[in-house]
Amino acid sequence: MSCEYELVAGLETHVELSTKTKIFCSCSTAFGGQPNSHCCPVCIGLPGTLPKLNRQVVRYAIRAGLALGCRISEISKMDRKNYVYPDLPKAYQISQFDKPLCRDGAVELSNGRTIRINRIHIEEDAGKLIHERGDTFVDYNRGGVPLIEIVTEPDFRSVSEVKEYVELLQLTMKYLGISDCRMEEGSLRCDVNLSVRPQGSETLGTRTEIKNMNSFTHIARAIEYEFSRQQELLAAGEPVIQETLRYDTTSGVTESMRSKEDAQDYRYFRDPDLVTIRVTPEEIEELRASLPELPAAKAIRFTAQYGLSGADSALLSRYPRCADYFEQAAAGLKKPRIAANFLLGQVFSRLGSEAAKEACVIPFDAAALHRLAALVEDGKINMGLAKSTLERMLDLGKGPEDLLSPADMEAVDDKKLEELCRAAIEADPRAAEGFLGGKEKALQALIGAVMRATRGRASAPAAEKQLRMLLKP
Amino acid sequence: MSMIQVVQAKLAAGEFSCRELTCAYLDAIGRDNGALNAYVRTTPDVALEAADRVDRKLARGEALLPLEGVPMTLKDNISTRGVETTCCSRMLQGYVPIYSAFVWEVLQKQGAVLLGKTNMDEFAMGSSSETSCFGGSLNPHDLSRVAGGSSGGAASAVAGNLAVYGLGSDTGGSIRQPASFCGVTGLKPSYGAVSRFGLVAYASSLDQIGPIAPSAGDCAAIYDVISEYDPMDSTCRGRREAALPRLEEGIRGMKIGMPEEYFSGVRPEVLSALESAGEVFRSLGAELVPFRLPALQYALPVYYILACAEAASNLGRYDGIRYGYRTAHYSGVHDMVCRTRTEGFGKEVQRRILLGNYVLSSGYYDAYYKKAQGLRGAIVKGFREAFEKCDIIMAPTVPMTAFPQNFTGADPVETYLTDICTVPVNIAGLPALSTPCGYDSGGLPIGMQLIGNTFCEASILTAAHQYEKAAGQHKATKWGVTL
Amino acid sequence: MVTREEIQKIALLSKLLIPEEELDGLTADMQDIIAFADTIRAAEDLADPDFDSISGACNAFREDEVLPSRPPEEILQNVGGGEDGCFPVRRRM
Repeated sequence: MSCEYELVAGLETHVELSTKTKIFCSCSTAFGGQPNSHCCPVCIGLPGTLPKLNRQVVRYAIRAGLALGCRISEISKMDRKNYVYPDLPKAYQISQFDKPLCRDGAVELSNGRTIRINRIHIEEDAGKLIHERGDTFVDYNRGGVPLIEIVTEPDFRSVSEVKEYVELLQLTMKYLGISDCRMEEGSLRCDVNLSVRPQGSETLGTRTEIKNMNSFTHIARAIEYEFSRQQELLAAGEPVIQETLRYDTTSGVTESMRSKEDAQDYRYFRDPDLVTIRVTPEEIEELRASLPELPAAKAIRFTAQYGLSGADSALLSRYPRCADYFEQAAAGLKKPRIAANFLLGQVFSRLGSEAAKEACVIPFDAAALHRLAALVEDGKINMGLAKSTLERMLDLGKGPEDLLSPADMEAVDDKKLEELCRAAIEADPRAAEGFLGGKEKALQALIGAVMRATRGRASAPAAEKQLRMLLKP
Repeated sequence: MSMIQVVQAKLAAGEFSCRELTCAYLDAIGRDNGALNAYVRTTPDVALEAADRVDRKLARGEALLPLEGVPMTLKDNISTRGVETTCCSRMLQGYVPIYSAFVWEVLQKQGAVLLGKTNMDEFAMGSSSETSCFGGSLNPHDLSRVAGGSSGGAASAVAGNLAVYGLGSDTGGSIRQPASFCGVTGLKPSYGAVSRFGLVAYASSLDQIGPIAPSAGDCAAIYDVISEYDPMDSTCRGRREAALPRLEEGIRGMKIGMPEEYFSGVRPEVLSALESAGEVFRSLGAELVPFRLPALQYALPVYYILACAEAASNLGRYDGIRYGYRTAHYSGVHDMVCRTRTEGFGKEVQRRILLGNYVLSSGYYDAYYKKAQGLRGAIVKGFREAFEKCDIIMAPTVPMTAFPQNFTGADPVETYLTDICTVPVNIAGLPALSTPCGYDSGGLPIGMQLIGNTFCEASILTAAHQYEKAAGQHKATKWGVTL
Repeated sequence: MVTREEIQKIALLSKLLIPEEELDGLTADMQDIIAFADTIRAAEDLADPDFDSISGACNAFREDEVLPSRPPEEILQNVGGGEDGCFPVRRRM
């Protein structure tokens, strides 16, 4: 009998916070630099040194917690997670065990499902091991960089849900300004807990944990591989063994990380070197009030306020800087959608990379885009001319008025149109007579003349209407 | 006059220069340290440089700061930039810190003259200094006896006149017990009074740095200097009040508590010395208040559980990668770490690491570590209630006098039991001192312990100072410098 | 009662090697010490489960301001200057 299996996954996401200094000392958190050049006696764990908690880490973590709908603990503490590894200079990681800063949050996915967040806690990052020439070299520059770990309940049922969640986390952190979330630099890393169970079952199967992945592709492939591996095991009547796995990016398989040297007992206990963290309800409310508008709220507002489609609003809210740029450009426009189309169409395709969109590197300011959109809105130029002008604005970094002649932008209002129509009739009396004589086609010649005279700026239907009025017998 | 005052008066009077004084101490160390083994390292360059600065200052006619120009020592677990700091462990041989402990920074600004680093039990784990990789420190009153531990070197140096004072550390009695054995005065300040930054951690929630000196007056002067607030130690608050200005206040009306639990199992000679001391206090106008403190019966196991758990974690970092000893032959990183630790740590340290990891490991945490924390709370509460009935507490420092050499080692538990009177104070974070109150039939000093309420160092220092003035039990030894 | 196997497991956690010939002696020592620690089991109703930490302090924070780090030469001073700016860990010696 074959059985349909369901994926059950939970995520632990480590996000490096973009504070200026490390979590327990005043060394810089800047990425790169010579090995061991952002180090001091504290972050290399010299005997006798003591940690001192960075206030900003607590603030950032609370911001993250509030943005993800968590309850903020008024009392929390730091614990030691003990394990020996060369990248961990004290042989314990200072983390939070049973009293994390934030608890019980939730994230809503586009398919309507909710991912519950169990907790968010603060901790320190480890150093980096470099394996070369058969030996190992240790660089502690990253050691002590602050992290938050965001732990979900096992609420994911598909790879796409995981992907959407991680993207949303990334975006939220950027909105909050608390992390760059550069996966390639390892500033966002995921551990995935994964189990399978027969479709419809309510009980959880034995889970495995895939550690430390820092790319969407790897996360997706690792989950897919592990999902099918566990299904095959169960189908063959073999048990899934609870263990920690590493995803090998070259072979594309998960493999056990456990060695016989690893006793795996972290012996958590409160760090006696650090004192209780107390946050008052007032401080929490103050931080809540200072939260920026978050991506989902922004998208909803863009649709309501500017009449953008859901897709356009969502796309814009993915790039907070571009969203701000759009709002500046759209201010005072009757049809903000025109500005949005320019931005998401021609401008975005010119920006190309994600990084350029994130940085919103547009060679002219939002006011210039506003003026271009206004010209279209006011009927001073038509869309075709607007588009070609926008291309040149992107090329030259100039405003529309630098690229259009005064004549290009002269408005063809009703009075002007009437003048032009009269001039056309005077210039071609035969056509006028022909029309009066019943030749409908003769009118087209007059409309054409008006359009030529305005280099296409006039509205053809308006010209036709005006001509018919003038030629009324 | 306290010893520090005597030295500074003579310096100011030009009786000798600070260089002459320092050289006299360095010479005496050269002569006598072979017998006492108080120092594991001398720092003549550091000392003479500081001494010359003091002499220049005196030549300019400037007044000295409270501890300026006074030759002193630091226990070898206090980090000294540029001066090897080993905790008397093979594990840290050759380790030269690149930073100085807060207390040493403060003392340097005060113009202290560092003669060297003193001997101790390895990583401060022991009661005799014999677990030191440099061998034990001996008792200046009787070379067949140990100086005590773990700050045995500091007590031996002070009692042997090889330094005016020394800084030690006290996790479960490591200042008071050797002070008691060597007949000098030692103060363990309240938890949080003195910065631990730069004190190589044994058990972080119990460790405190404090002075060992000839008298309570000296300890007060040193305490007032080193108990400065340090922003680098999250648990440090600094002193609440200076002790020195209060020493002459007297103790009339002071209520001195005597908890029964401290006096059982104590040697008769120690008991009678304490009874006499009690009489002295009564004659000075104090009132003795007997009471019971039942939670104390669990103090010793609670201490060993908590101290070893913290130690197991604190000592995890010695892996041979960043500093200190590394094994010569190994295959693989894990093997390197294990061999380094097995070869680098002595047996007692290894035993405590094992016990610490045992009580923290899954399945045992609740029964041991968590339970011990709860009992720590009970002991804290017990003392808090006691201090509603009395101002200070008087007790023996150690139930006996200095052990003979190699007394320890037969049975670890029996050795641990000698700490029974000193550990409660560390568990409760209280200040306590030991000062000599008599001698046994063999001429070995007996120590009296005075315990104060949190941040009430001034009260116990005042009581000890008044006692020393009324019935001083300081007995000179034949060693070292005679001023 | 602590067993040899438990001692071996704890030794592994502690990154300590215990020679076979010392294991029995050490197990016996540890049994004594743990029996001693076990005396706290008798103190059933005395413990204060709310006890938190000996330092009554809270919120000891540092501001997020960068101070100069130490030069790598100093950081690596106790490993003879290191190698390529790093702490070397040889695979074998």
